Formats: sequence, structure tokens, C-alpha cells
Amino acid sequence: MIELAQNLIDGLGRGSIYALLALGVAVIFGVMHLLNFAHGEMITVSGYAAFWALGAGWSWTVVVPLILVVSVVTSLLIERLAFSRVRGAPDFTLLLTSFGVHFLVSALLLLYVSASVKNYSRPGWVADTWSLGSLRIEVFDTVVIVITIITLLATTALLQRTMFGLALRAAAADFDTARLMGVRSNSVIRGAFALSGLLAGIAGVFWLMRAGSTNPTAGIDPMLKGVLAALIGGLGSLRGAVLGGFALGLAEVLLRSWLPNSLASLTEGVVFALIALLFIFRPQGLISVTHAERV
Amino acid sequence: MMKRFVALLAVLSLLTAACGSDDSTSTSGGGDASGDGAGLDIDAVLAADLADCADAPEGDPIRVGMAMDFSDVVGFVDIPGSNLVPYVAEKINCTGGINGQPVEVRVAEVGSDAALAAQDLLDWGAHFLIGPPFADFALPILQTTDGKVPLFVAASTEPTLADASINSFLVTFDDVGMSSAAAQWALDQGITRAIVFTEGEGIPYTGVNPDAFAAAFTEGGGEVVSTQTYVWAADTDFSAQVNEIAGMSENNEAVFSAALGFQVTALRGQLEGQGLDGLTYIGTDALDATGIQFEDNNEGVVHTPHTSISSGDAIDTLLADYEADKGEALESRGFMALYVDSMFLGIQGVLDCGCTDPEQIGAAVAEISGFDGLSGEITYAGTNGIPPKAVPINRITDGEDVLVDTIG
Repeated sequence: MIELAQNLIDGLGRGSIYALLALGVAVIFGVMHLLNFAHGEMITVSGYAAFWALGAGWSWTVVVPLILVVSVVTSLLIERLAFSRVRGAPDFTLLLTSFGVHFLVSALLLLYVSASVKNYSRPGWVADTWSLGSLRIEVFDTVVIVITIITLLATTALLQRTMFGLALRAAAADFDTARLMGVRSNSVIRGAFALSGLLAGIAGVFWLMRAGSTNPTAGIDPMLKGVLAALIGGLGSLRGAVLGGFALGLAEVLLRSWLPNSLASLTEGVVFALIALLFIFRPQGLISVTHAERV
Repeated sequence: MMKRFVALLAVLSLLTAACGSDDSTSTSGGGDASGDGAGLDIDAVLAADLADCADAPEGDPIRVGMAMDFSDVVGFVDIPGSNLVPYVAEKINCTGGINGQPVEVRVAEVGSDAALAAQDLLDWGAHFLIGPPFADFALPILQTTDGKVPLFVAASTEPTLADASINSFLVTFDDVGMSSAAAQWALDQGITRAIVFTEGEGIPYTGVNPDAFAAAFTEGGGEVVSTQTYVWAADTDFSAQVNEIAGMSENNEAVFSAALGFQVTALRGQLEGQGLDGLTYIGTDALDATGIQFEDNNEGVVHTPHTSISSGDAIDTLLADYEADKGEALESRGFMALYVDSMFLGIQGVLDCGCTDPEQIGAAVAEISGFDGLSGEITYAGTNGIPPKAVPINRITDGEDVLVDTIG
């Protein structure tokens, strides 16, 4: 029972990071109908920024905002240099462009930085725990869950209560009509990439704190988790993305715990099999979205 | 008279230094342990000053082909390795070459087609090849060489890649030797319980190493009390495994894995968070290449590097020379001696057979015995291409990577 409770908390902690990643993917999909396979590059580039800054003696207190800024700037640069050039192109072109950005960023880091894993010191509290009865809960998981909840509330407020949010939601519902109604497409799309970059940055802070390292392809894993969670939740749905993130995190931890040792290495495979099953019965994901299709 | 005597002593000293040491246990190498060995003086090569070279050698070149992977897979060793080997070739040529023959090195990136890279090198006339670790790269190269050209799989510990009958050689110990030595060291410390992390039984490297450790540990009287799975080079959150271990650990086990350095750090942090602070962490070769010593809480972590580098030794000096001459430091220092030794071994094969036919060079390499390389003594005679080398056991002590034992 204790182990189950422990696993549930761990699953929620892991799922929180996935939820933040999925939210960033969903924001871009909602506006551009783009499944952004370059979403992980914000974390890759931020990871190198963290490596250099920590190596130069900066503290995590300074590195956290640095990661957020680098992530947002990277996202905006990717939009400016790549996606703005193919705006209006077929979805498949956008998809290929996002793959291209991913490979280009990895190759540039490989060629001009290093192929080696770059390690840096994690914050001292990452491995600390606090007790709740017989449970030993990681401070890290607690912080991740709390920050994720705050981020989700803030994102909801941004989308519901600001002009930018209104424009973003209008663009997600019907991009062309939104433009006819006076919504400036450039501003909305850049705003969406900035928001997506910020969400990736927040997820990246936790991802990088836990990993304690980065490398040219460090963004692949978080990108896959984010895309997967967004798919599980229902592409284009922000609530679905969050739900998908938590579902994926819990599934990974609980399955790893429940599967017998001889099958434990199949955890990832079983997770994918479950996702496939989900799509058989609910091809639209956990939450149906009717307005995400770009017109 | 006294002046003449001192001058004579000085000349004799210089001659002795130039001819290298006969001490077979020298850590600075020396080669020439089999055959006539003429022409390869590792000490002299390493001591060469590129700013003050002998006349350029003008004989037919000895051609060294390097088929290297520059991707994120093994670029962390192949990139610095492919920088260092040409540098050492420069040093060889600076000393007048090998019996007047210059050494030429060509590097071909394997990209997505290792066979094509190997063919390019063979067409160029490579006398032997140095290849990347992992079967995905090495097997296409072996298919291209068709067993007729020696291949040194420089940074590999994969036993299946060694086969002297097709001229394929490891330069270091294999997974079984490495992990068995780690198990022996743990038993020697009085550790009788082990927790093993694996990607799955029989999986190259990530499964074979834990398999070998478990087999040797059990055979030596220890008990593997838990086997956990993980994803190599990816997992940094071991929550589920840690929760399970917390329920059964006696806080005195060895935790063995072939995980990368940053993964060991993450695992240790989470286990210590659960109060398990009495565990001994043992990893495989890669730890010294993935910066395990960077973080404070890696104190006490044990690993099995290919070469244990100490300040001022031959490898340390060579790497310092490279940095001084080329203006950049090489990464993955613990692997670098293997790349240089690959070239030295190939050259030794050329010298031993006195020929230029790669197949005959391979046959000569297969008979090398007691070669005193930079990474230790290397013998292929009587083996299947896996040199029976001693395994250094290093431990992070006071933030430094320190040699604490040598097994075998």
C-alpha cells in the first residue's frame, strides 16, 4: 500500500512535467495545426545554457530564469527562421520542417559544441525527501506538482482573461475567420510560440534538474513524451494535453512497478500498447476537439 | 678528461632515452615485444617535439584508415580519437617515420553507411582500419573488409566483435572481463549482496555486463538480491525501481549497472533520498567519459576505466601535448589510449610481417604478444582477438578519479 501511494506520487510528479510539455505542443497545434517535433529543442538548447552558466559558477537561482528566457527565445527563433517561411503550406510540409529543425539543431550542437554528454551539478534539494507518515516523498516531485498546478492556472487565466488569450482561442477555433475579425496572425503565432517556449522552459527546468546532463539529442525524449501526452489527451485540447501528461506519467510508473521483473523491460512497450488500445476505442484521444482543424 | 667523461655520459644518456626503455612494465609504452620490433619506439614518438622534427620520411607510407562515427552515438569517443591519432602520426613522422616510412592517416565518417566509409578507406590503400564501437557500425565494416584487412574496434568491449580469424580485434578487455573484475572487486570488499540494473538479458553492453557481473558475483559466493530494468542513456527518474529497492534493501548492497555517469548520479540521489546511504555504486567503462566525477555526491562511485590516468603519466602528457599544440583539450580521456594503441598495434603488425599486404599484416597482428602499449600490455597470440588485459578499478575519492585496485 505504501509502495502504491509512493508510486502514485512519483507518477504525478513525472506526469506533471509531461503535462507541461504536452500543453506547449497543444498550444502550437491549436493555432497552426502543427505537431511540432522540434518542441524538444527548447530543452536541448536550454540544457547547454544551463551547462555553461553552472560551469561558470552561476547558481540555480539565476539559471532557472535563464532557462526560461533561452527557451522562449529559441522557440521564437525557430518560428522566425523556419516556420514563418512555410506558413500556409500543407500540414505535411510543416511536419517535415519541424523534423528538419530538430535534426539541424542537433547537428549544429554536435559539430560546434561536442558529441559528449555535458554534466552539471543538480540543485542539492533534488534528492531530498520529506515524510508523510510512512511515505517518503521527494521534495522534487512536490515542487514539480505545485509549480505545474500554478502554471496551469496561470495559463488558463491568460487564455480566458486577456486579449491575447482571446485571439489565441479565436485563431485555434478558426484561423481565417479570426484574421477577418482583426486578429493579427503574426502576433498570435509569435505569441503562441512564446507561450509554448515558456511552457517548454518550465518543463525544461525540471527535466534538466533531474537529468543533470545534456547532449545534442537531449530534447528527443521530452519531445516524444510531450507529443504522446498531447495525442493521448486529444490533439488541440489544452485540458486533454494536461490529462494526457498525467495519464502517461502514472502509466509509466505504475506499470514499471506492477509488471514482474522478467517483463519490466517491456514497460515502454506496454505503455505504447495501451495507447494503441486507447486509440482503437477513442481515436480522438481522451477529450474530443472539434475546432482544432485549421481552415 | 672530466669534461669528456661527462660529455660521454650525456651522450649515453641521450642514446638510452632515444632508444626507449626495456622495462616491460613501463606505463609509457614501448611496443616491439614481438618480432624484431625495429622502427616503433613509442617513448621516442611521444617525446617528439613537432617544432623540432627530423627530416621528413620519404618511403612508401603506412596508411591508417579510421572509419569513425561522429554522431551522438559514439562521437564522444570517436571524434577526439580521430583527432588524436593523426596527431600521433605527426609525431611519428617527426621522428623520421617508421624505418623511413611516413604514417598517413585518413578519417572517413561512417555517417549512415559504415560500409561505404570502409570501402573509401580500402580504395585509398589503408593497411589496417580503426573502427567505431557497437555492432551497428563495426559489422558493416567487417563485411566490407571481408576478413582481409585488420580492424581494431578501438573503444569497444563487445566480445562478439572480436574474431582473430577475420582480423577483427578489440584493444581492451571485453564486457565479460570488465564486469567479472568488478564483481571480484566487490566480493574482495566483503560485499555479499548486489542489486543489478539491466536493459535485459543478453542485450549487448547494457545487458551483457550485468549478466557477467551477476554470474561472477554469484559464483564467488555473493547473492543478487534484486534485478531492476531501466532504459540506458535515457532514464533519469528511477522512482519505481527505488520504491521497490527501498522495501528490500539492507543498505549494504553493491549497485551495479552499465548506465552512463549521469544516470548513476540520478539513481544514487534517489536511493539516498530514501535513506539508503550505505550502498556501493559500481559502473562500467563509460563513467570516466561521461563526467561522473563532476558532482559532489558521486563520492565513492567505482568504475572500470580502460586506462587509469594519473598526472604526468604517458597518456596525461600526450593529451597535454595535444592541447598545447592544437589549442584544444580532448574529451573522453580514458578512451584515448585505445585509439593510439590501435595505430601502434597496426604498425607493429606491419613491422612484424615486413609486408604491405593487409591480410598478412592481420596474421602478424594475431601473433602479437606482450605489446607494451599506452593502455597496458596487449597480447593477441592464442586469443580470439580479445586481449587478456588487467582491469583497473577506479573510485571517486575526494572528487578525484583514483586507481584503487587492478584485477587480473
